[in-house]
Amino acid sequence: MNSDDELAGQLRGGDEKALRAAYDLYGAAVLYLAQRLLGNRADAEDVTQLTFVAAWTGRDTFDPARGSLLGWLLGIARRKAVDRLRSAARSDRIAETILAQLPLAEPPETPDRIVDRLIVADELGRLPEDQRRTLELAFFDDLTHPQIAAVTGLPLGTVKSHIRRGMANLRRRWEVDGGTSGSRSAGPTRAL
Amino acid sequence: MEHLDPDRLVLLALSEDRGEPGESMHLAVCAGCRSDLESLHHVATLAAEGKSLGEQPAPPDRVWQAIEAQIAQPDRPVRIPDQPGGNLGYQRAVRRRPRRLLAPVLAAAAAAVLAVAGTLTVTRTADRQPAEHVAAHATLSPLPEVPPAAHGTATVLADGTIEIDTRDLPLTTGFHEVWLIDPADTTRMVALGNLSQDQDALLPVPPGVDLNRYRLVDVSDEPHDGDAAHSGHSLLRGTLTS
Repeated sequence: MNSDDELAGQLRGGDEKALRAAYDLYGAAVLYLAQRLLGNRADAEDVTQLTFVAAWTGRDTFDPARGSLLGWLLGIARRKAVDRLRSAARSDRIAETILAQLPLAEPPETPDRIVDRLIVADELGRLPEDQRRTLELAFFDDLTHPQIAAVTGLPLGTVKSHIRRGMANLRRRWEVDGGTSGSRSAGPTRAL
Repeated sequence: MEHLDPDRLVLLALSEDRGEPGESMHLAVCAGCRSDLESLHHVATLAAEGKSLGEQPAPPDRVWQAIEAQIAQPDRPVRIPDQPGGNLGYQRAVRRRPRRLLAPVLAAAAAAVLAVAGTLTVTRTADRQPAEHVAAHATLSPLPEVPPAAHGTATVLADGTIEIDTRDLPLTTGFHEVWLIDPADTTRMVALGNLSQDQDALLPVPPGVDLNRYRLVDVSDEPHDGDAAHSGHSLLRGTLTS
């Protein structure tokens, strides 16, 4: 989060290098979100472009105290993508319909869920190495705590503590920065 | 009543343990622990879904180049306003910017609406603007096997012509031909004409061609083989957006 503060300061100071740094860090995530929402690579690239231009012109509005830089960028990208659909359809109602009927290979996802996934993945990458490693073994390799202890050579109690702290960090970030931050009680299954 | 231990909650959230009967009973009556468990389980699910996110490709260089170009000239209009009809004043001077607008992912129902909106745009533009003004625009990008420097733009002017402007197309022993393709059925296409030596051309759009349907602009490499059909060798493509 520290680097977010620094980047924010540089951005406000009008340093284009900070925009480039943010783009290098989060351009792929913005593109991923836009691609998932629009279902089209060319439009997703266009929305990525609009997002970073808007981030530059609106750089004074980013407040690190209210959420991460990634969360802020994804919020912009999401609005730009919806704007794109709306201006295309010239109608809010149709835009909503389209968003709900995107021809994705998988079942349609809500923008919230895509944002949440990106935020959680970002936070996982920021965790202390031990926490990240044990959580990845649990999430990606589906190992149980005793199996993780065997693979890593760490005592079982240490594995448990890494996982508990790592999970707490992920959850905190998700609550601050997730797609529905502020309306958590709606739960993960709410419709778009 | 004792709340569940944080370690137990994590184990249950990771579905590593089915839970003791006593724990299930506690969860049934304790909204706080239930909410914790649900949150943890949701976060764990999100994290597991994110496995491949670390390998997401960075956007191509052209995206950053476009961002750089736009922030370098903040006073120039760089995007079409969002309000309906707001793009009518889109100036010729800025249409060469590398932009792609509109989502060609629209469902069939929306395409019909677009057809109406697009017609209105062209009509109104014709009423209010001289022929110079732009009714639709596409940025043409190289296909994967084409040298990445190749690029271009297609601009539908309000007088019903389409201006094709290309750069760095690969050399051909044949000629370059411009097509409009229906992205919903790419076997449906309209041949617009050939590019001249300087890789630019002003081509008439045949009357009756619905640009909302045939909105994929394609520049192909055609051999001199007397076959009027598309060679299948596309060089550039881009989607027209109004």
